[in-house]
Amino acid sequence: MPLPWTSRLALRVQRALSYAGFVLFGPVLMALYRFRFRFSAHAVKQIRAEYRALRAAHPGPLLICSNHLTLVDSIIQAVVLGSLWDYLKHPASLPWNLPEVKNFYQRWSWRLVCYLGRCIPVQRGASPQQAKLVQARMHYVLDRGDAIAIFPEGKRSRDGRVDDRDFSYGVGQLLNQIPKAQVLCVYLRGMRFGGFADFPKIGERFYLQMQMLSPQSAAKGLRRARDLSAQVVARIKAMEADYFSARASGQLALPDGR
Amino acid sequence: MNEAEITEKVIALITPYVKNRDALVGISKDTSILGDLGVNSARLVDIVLAFEDAFNIEVSDDAADSITTVGDAVALIGKLVA
Repeated sequence: MPLPWTSRLALRVQRALSYAGFVLFGPVLMALYRFRFRFSAHAVKQIRAEYRALRAAHPGPLLICSNHLTLVDSIIQAVVLGSLWDYLKHPASLPWNLPEVKNFYQRWSWRLVCYLGRCIPVQRGASPQQAKLVQARMHYVLDRGDAIAIFPEGKRSRDGRVDDRDFSYGVGQLLNQIPKAQVLCVYLRGMRFGGFADFPKIGERFYLQMQMLSPQSAAKGLRRARDLSAQVVARIKAMEADYFSARASGQLALPDGR
Repeated sequence: MNEAEITEKVIALITPYVKNRDALVGISKDTSILGDLGVNSARLVDIVLAFEDAFNIEVSDDAADSITTVGDAVALIGKLVA
Protein backbone atom coordinates (compact mmCIF):
# COMPACT_ATOMS: atom_id res chain seq x y z
CA MET A 1 0.00 0.00 0.00
CA PRO A 2 1.58 3.34 -1.04
CA LEU A 3 1.70 5.88 1.79
CA PRO A 4 -0.12 9.15 0.98
CA TRP A 5 2.20 12.16 0.74
CA THR A 6 0.48 13.76 3.74
CA SER A 7 1.42 10.76 5.90
CA ARG A 8 4.98 10.82 4.56
CA LEU A 9 5.26 14.50 5.37
CA ALA A 10 3.74 13.94 8.82
CA LEU A 11 6.35 11.29 9.61
CA ARG A 12 9.18 13.55 8.46
CA VAL A 13 7.87 16.41 10.60
CA GLN A 14 7.48 14.04 13.56
CA ARG A 15 11.06 12.84 13.11
CA ALA A 16 12.39 16.42 13.00
CA LEU A 17 10.34 17.52 16.01
CA SER A 18 11.32 14.44 17.96
CA TYR A 19 14.96 15.29 17.33
CA ALA A 20 14.42 18.86 18.55
CA GLY A 21 12.37 17.54 21.47
CA PHE A 22 15.08 15.04 22.31
CA VAL A 23 17.56 17.88 22.88
CA LEU A 24 15.16 19.30 25.48
CA PHE A 25 13.56 16.21 26.97
CA GLY A 26 16.35 13.65 26.52
CA PRO A 27 18.27 14.91 29.57
CA VAL A 28 15.03 14.92 31.60
CA LEU A 29 14.39 11.31 30.61
CA MET A 30 17.93 10.28 31.50
CA ALA A 31 17.64 12.09 34.85
CA LEU A 32 14.35 10.31 35.63
CA TYR A 33 15.90 6.98 34.69
CA ARG A 34 18.98 7.50 36.79
CA PHE A 35 17.81 9.53 39.80
CA ARG A 36 14.02 9.26 40.15
CA PHE A 37 13.76 5.52 39.45
CA ARG A 38 17.40 4.69 40.27
CA PHE A 39 17.63 2.40 37.25
CA SER A 40 20.96 1.11 36.00
CA ALA A 41 22.15 -1.42 33.44
CA HIS A 42 24.70 -4.18 33.52
CA ALA A 43 27.74 -3.47 31.28
CA VAL A 44 26.06 -0.40 29.79
CA LYS A 45 29.24 1.05 28.23
CA GLN A 46 29.94 -2.23 26.48
CA ILE A 47 26.34 -2.48 25.24
CA ARG A 48 26.38 1.06 23.84
CA ALA A 49 29.72 0.48 22.12
CA GLU A 50 28.33 -2.73 20.62
CA TYR A 51 25.20 -0.97 19.35
CA ARG A 52 27.25 1.89 17.89
CA ALA A 53 29.44 -0.65 16.08
CA LEU A 54 26.39 -2.55 14.81
CA ARG A 55 24.76 0.61 13.46
CA ALA A 56 28.04 1.60 11.80
CA ALA A 57 28.28 -1.84 10.19
CA HIS A 58 24.56 -1.97 9.27
CA PRO A 59 23.45 1.63 8.64
CA GLY A 60 20.21 0.75 6.79
CA PRO A 61 16.77 -0.25 8.02
CA LEU A 62 16.87 -2.13 11.28
CA LEU A 63 14.22 -4.07 13.16
CA ILE A 64 15.07 -4.29 16.83
CA CYS A 65 13.14 -7.33 18.01
CA SER A 66 12.95 -7.86 21.73
CA ASN A 67 11.09 -9.71 24.43
CA HIS A 68 8.32 -7.79 26.16
CA LEU A 69 7.75 -7.67 29.91
CA THR A 70 6.79 -4.12 30.92
CA LEU A 71 4.92 -1.20 29.36
CA VAL A 72 8.12 0.85 29.18
CA ASP A 73 10.46 -1.74 27.64
CA SER A 74 10.97 0.42 24.53
CA ILE A 75 12.09 3.40 26.62
CA ILE A 76 14.41 1.33 28.82
CA GLN A 77 15.84 -0.37 25.77
CA ALA A 78 16.53 2.97 24.05
CA VAL A 79 18.23 4.35 27.16
CA VAL A 80 20.42 1.27 27.56
CA LEU A 81 21.34 1.02 23.87
CA GLY A 82 22.55 4.59 23.45
CA SER A 83 23.57 7.72 25.30
CA LEU A 84 22.09 11.17 24.61
CA TRP A 85 25.18 11.99 22.63
CA ASP A 86 24.91 8.77 20.57
CA TYR A 87 21.37 9.64 19.50
CA LEU A 88 22.14 13.29 18.82
CA LYS A 89 25.04 12.24 16.60
CA HIS A 90 23.18 9.35 14.93
CA PRO A 91 19.44 10.09 14.98
CA ALA A 92 18.70 7.01 12.86
CA SER A 93 19.84 4.85 15.77
CA LEU A 94 17.04 6.06 18.03
CA PRO A 95 14.33 3.51 17.31
CA TRP A 96 10.74 4.26 16.38
CA ASN A 97 8.25 2.56 18.68
CA LEU A 98 4.89 0.92 18.12
CA PRO A 99 2.77 1.47 21.24
CA GLU A 100 -0.79 0.25 21.43
CA VAL A 101 -3.37 3.03 21.22
CA LYS A 102 -5.31 1.61 24.18
CA ASN A 103 -2.32 1.86 26.52
CA PHE A 104 -0.81 5.20 25.60
CA TYR A 105 -3.22 7.39 23.67
CA GLN A 106 -5.93 8.12 26.26
CA ARG A 107 -4.27 11.22 27.70
CA TRP A 108 -2.91 14.21 25.78
CA SER A 109 0.27 14.28 27.86
CA TRP A 110 1.06 10.69 26.87
CA ARG A 111 0.13 11.41 23.27
CA LEU A 112 2.70 14.19 23.25
CA VAL A 113 5.33 11.94 24.82
CA CYS A 114 4.59 9.29 22.21
CA TYR A 115 4.72 11.80 19.38
CA LEU A 116 8.08 13.17 20.48
CA GLY A 117 9.27 9.66 21.31
CA ARG A 118 8.93 8.62 17.67
CA CYS A 119 5.89 6.43 18.05
CA ILE A 120 3.64 4.99 15.39
CA PRO A 121 0.46 3.96 17.21
CA VAL A 122 -0.94 0.52 16.52
CA GLN A 123 -4.33 -0.88 17.36
CA ARG A 124 -4.93 -4.49 18.33
CA GLY A 125 -7.74 -5.97 16.25
CA ALA A 126 -7.52 -3.18 13.66
CA SER A 127 -9.15 -3.66 10.28
CA PRO A 128 -6.88 -4.96 7.48
CA GLN A 129 -6.97 -1.47 5.93
CA GLN A 130 -5.82 0.21 9.17
CA ALA A 131 -3.16 -2.45 9.67
CA LYS A 132 -1.89 -1.84 6.14
CA LEU A 133 -1.63 1.89 6.77
CA VAL A 134 0.44 1.26 9.91
CA GLN A 135 2.64 -1.18 7.99
CA ALA A 136 3.10 1.41 5.25
CA ARG A 137 4.26 3.93 7.87
CA MET A 138 6.74 1.41 9.28
CA HIS A 139 7.89 0.63 5.76
CA TYR A 140 8.46 4.32 5.08
CA VAL A 141 10.60 5.00 8.16
CA LEU A 142 12.59 1.81 7.61
CA ASP A 143 13.18 2.72 3.97
CA ARG A 144 14.72 5.95 5.16
CA GLY A 145 17.29 3.94 7.14
CA ASP A 146 15.73 4.27 10.59
CA ALA A 147 15.33 1.60 13.24
CA ILE A 148 12.04 0.30 14.64
CA ALA A 149 11.67 -1.43 17.99
CA ILE A 150 9.16 -4.25 17.71
CA PHE A 151 7.98 -7.02 20.03
CA PRO A 152 7.73 -10.20 17.96
CA GLU A 153 5.54 -11.92 20.54
CA GLY A 154 2.91 -9.25 19.86
CA LYS A 155 2.10 -8.99 23.57
CA ARG A 156 3.76 -8.93 26.96
CA SER A 157 4.89 -12.28 28.37
CA ARG A 158 2.41 -12.81 31.20
CA ASP A 159 4.41 -15.64 32.76
CA GLY A 160 7.67 -13.71 32.46
CA ARG A 161 9.11 -15.97 29.77
CA VAL A 162 9.27 -15.60 25.99
CA ASP A 163 6.21 -17.27 24.45
CA ASP A 164 7.51 -19.26 21.50
CA ARG A 165 4.15 -20.94 20.82
CA ASP A 166 1.57 -18.17 20.55
CA PHE A 167 3.29 -15.22 18.88
CA SER A 168 2.47 -12.67 16.21
CA TYR A 169 3.77 -12.76 12.61
CA GLY A 170 4.19 -8.99 12.25
CA VAL A 171 7.98 -9.15 12.09
CA GLY A 172 7.84 -11.69 9.28
CA GLN A 173 5.31 -9.59 7.39
CA LEU A 174 7.56 -6.54 7.67
CA LEU A 175 10.55 -8.59 6.50
CA ASN A 176 8.49 -9.82 3.54
CA GLN A 177 7.91 -6.20 2.56
CA ILE A 178 11.43 -4.96 3.27
CA PRO A 179 13.82 -7.85 2.66
CA LYS A 180 16.86 -5.59 3.08
CA ALA A 181 15.92 -4.81 6.70
CA GLN A 182 18.36 -6.22 9.23
CA VAL A 183 17.17 -7.89 12.40
CA LEU A 184 18.70 -7.20 15.78
CA CYS A 185 17.40 -9.57 18.45
CA VAL A 186 17.45 -8.15 21.97
CA TYR A 187 16.82 -9.76 25.32
CA LEU A 188 16.05 -7.24 28.07
CA ARG A 189 15.23 -8.12 31.66
CA GLY A 190 15.44 -6.65 35.11
CA MET A 191 18.06 -8.55 37.09
CA ARG A 192 16.81 -7.59 40.54
CA PHE A 193 13.06 -8.09 40.16
CA GLY A 194 12.50 -9.01 36.49
CA GLY A 195 9.32 -10.60 35.19
CA PHE A 196 5.99 -9.27 33.96
CA ALA A 197 4.89 -5.87 35.31
CA ASP A 198 3.41 -2.61 34.10
CA PHE A 199 6.45 -0.69 35.28
CA PRO A 200 9.84 -1.90 36.54
CA LYS A 201 10.42 -1.50 40.27
CA ILE A 202 12.54 1.35 41.60
CA GLY A 203 16.21 0.40 41.74
CA GLU A 204 15.95 -2.17 38.95
CA ARG A 205 19.17 -3.13 37.18
CA PHE A 206 18.71 -4.16 33.56
CA TYR A 207 20.45 -6.85 31.60
CA LEU A 208 20.51 -6.50 27.81
CA GLN A 209 21.95 -8.86 25.27
CA MET A 210 21.85 -8.34 21.49
CA GLN A 211 22.53 -10.52 18.47
CA MET A 212 22.14 -9.85 14.74
CA LEU A 213 20.06 -12.41 12.89
CA SER A 214 19.43 -13.09 9.20
CA PRO A 215 16.26 -15.18 9.16
CA GLN A 216 15.81 -17.24 6.00
CA SER A 217 12.93 -19.06 4.36
CA ALA A 218 12.38 -20.61 0.95
CA ALA A 219 8.61 -20.19 1.34
CA LYS A 220 6.56 -17.23 0.14
CA GLY A 221 3.86 -14.95 1.50
CA LEU A 222 2.22 -15.76 4.81
CA ARG A 223 4.16 -19.01 5.21
CA ARG A 224 7.42 -17.08 4.85
CA ALA A 225 6.21 -14.49 7.37
CA ARG A 226 5.50 -17.29 9.83
CA ASP A 227 8.91 -18.95 9.26
CA LEU A 228 10.82 -15.69 9.70
CA SER A 229 8.88 -14.69 12.81
CA ALA A 230 9.45 -18.13 14.34
CA GLN A 231 13.21 -17.83 13.80
CA VAL A 232 13.30 -14.40 15.47
CA VAL A 233 11.29 -15.61 18.47
CA ALA A 234 13.42 -18.77 18.73
CA ARG A 235 16.57 -16.65 18.88
CA ILE A 236 15.18 -14.44 21.63
CA LYS A 237 14.09 -17.56 23.51
CA ALA A 238 17.65 -18.92 23.23
CA MET A 239 19.00 -15.60 24.55
CA GLU A 240 16.62 -15.93 27.50
CA ALA A 241 18.00 -19.40 28.21
CA ASP A 242 21.54 -17.91 28.11
CA TYR A 243 20.48 -15.28 30.64
CA PHE A 244 19.04 -17.77 33.12
CA SER A 245 21.94 -20.16 32.82
CA ALA A 246 24.43 -17.29 33.37
CA ARG A 247 22.45 -16.16 36.43
CA ALA A 248 22.24 -19.71 37.81
CA SER A 249 25.96 -20.35 37.34
CA GLY A 250 26.91 -17.04 38.93
CA GLN A 251 28.61 -15.78 35.76
CA LEU A 252 26.15 -12.91 35.74
CA ALA A 253 25.56 -11.20 39.06
CA LEU A 254 24.32 -7.94 40.55
CA PRO A 255 26.95 -5.56 41.98
CA ASP A 256 26.12 -6.84 45.46
CA GLY A 257 26.98 -10.35 44.32
CA ARG A 258 23.39 -11.69 44.18
CA MET B 1 -16.36 -30.52 -3.42
CA ASN B 2 -19.67 -28.79 -2.63
CA GLU B 3 -20.27 -25.80 -0.37
CA ALA B 4 -21.54 -27.87 2.55
CA GLU B 5 -18.41 -30.04 2.51
CA ILE B 6 -16.18 -26.98 2.33
CA THR B 7 -18.07 -25.35 5.23
CA GLU B 8 -17.73 -28.47 7.37
CA LYS B 9 -14.01 -28.71 6.70
CA VAL B 10 -13.49 -24.97 7.27
CA ILE B 11 -15.17 -25.16 10.67
CA ALA B 12 -13.08 -28.20 11.59
CA LEU B 13 -9.90 -26.32 10.66
CA ILE B 14 -10.88 -23.18 12.56
CA THR B 15 -12.01 -25.01 15.73
CA PRO B 16 -8.56 -25.67 17.31
CA TYR B 17 -7.83 -21.91 17.27
CA VAL B 18 -11.14 -20.75 18.73
CA LYS B 19 -10.89 -19.05 22.14
CA ASN B 20 -14.59 -18.38 22.59
CA ARG B 21 -15.79 -22.00 22.59
CA ASP B 22 -19.40 -20.99 23.31
CA ALA B 23 -19.59 -19.27 19.92
CA LEU B 24 -18.99 -22.63 18.22
CA VAL B 25 -22.50 -23.75 19.16
CA GLY B 26 -24.25 -21.31 16.86
CA ILE B 27 -21.53 -21.03 14.25
CA SER B 28 -22.78 -19.91 10.84
CA LYS B 29 -21.52 -18.24 7.69
CA ASP B 30 -22.01 -14.84 9.33
CA THR B 31 -19.85 -15.69 12.33
CA SER B 32 -16.87 -13.37 12.55
CA ILE B 33 -13.66 -15.37 13.00
CA LEU B 34 -11.86 -12.62 14.91
CA GLY B 35 -14.77 -10.94 16.69
CA ASP B 36 -17.14 -13.80 17.55
CA LEU B 37 -14.78 -16.75 17.80
CA GLY B 38 -11.98 -14.81 19.53
CA VAL B 39 -9.26 -15.91 17.13
CA ASN B 40 -6.34 -13.46 17.08
CA SER B 41 -4.83 -12.16 13.84
CA ALA B 42 -1.69 -14.32 14.04
CA ARG B 43 -3.77 -17.45 14.48
CA LEU B 44 -5.91 -16.34 11.52
CA VAL B 45 -2.72 -16.62 9.47
CA ASP B 46 -2.29 -20.17 10.80
CA ILE B 47 -5.87 -20.94 9.79
CA VAL B 48 -5.30 -19.61 6.26
CA LEU B 49 -2.17 -21.76 5.97
CA ALA B 50 -4.19 -24.74 7.21
CA PHE B 51 -6.74 -24.00 4.43
CA GLU B 52 -3.90 -24.00 1.90
CA ASP B 53 -2.68 -27.41 3.07
CA ALA B 54 -6.10 -28.99 3.44
CA PHE B 55 -7.56 -27.79 0.12
CA ASN B 56 -4.28 -27.72 -1.81
CA ILE B 57 -4.74 -24.06 -2.76
CA GLU B 58 -2.67 -20.89 -2.57
CA VAL B 59 -4.18 -17.86 -0.83
CA SER B 60 -2.66 -14.47 -1.65
CA ASP B 61 -2.01 -11.95 1.14
CA ASP B 62 -4.79 -9.70 -0.14
CA ALA B 63 -7.26 -12.58 -0.31
CA ALA B 64 -6.29 -13.61 3.23
CA ASP B 65 -6.98 -10.06 4.41
CA SER B 66 -10.49 -10.28 2.95
CA ILE B 67 -11.43 -13.19 5.23
CA THR B 68 -13.53 -11.87 8.09
CA THR B 69 -16.32 -14.41 8.51
CA VAL B 70 -16.68 -18.16 8.08
CA GLY B 71 -18.71 -17.40 4.95
CA ASP B 72 -15.83 -15.33 3.48
CA ALA B 73 -13.49 -18.28 3.95
CA VAL B 74 -15.95 -20.73 2.39
CA ALA B 75 -16.57 -18.43 -0.60
CA LEU B 76 -12.86 -17.86 -1.19
CA ILE B 77 -12.00 -21.55 -0.96
CA GLY B 78 -14.95 -22.41 -3.22
CA LYS B 79 -13.54 -20.06 -5.85
CA LEU B 80 -9.98 -21.40 -5.53
CA VAL B 81 -10.87 -25.09 -5.70
CA ALA B 82 -13.28 -24.66 -8.62
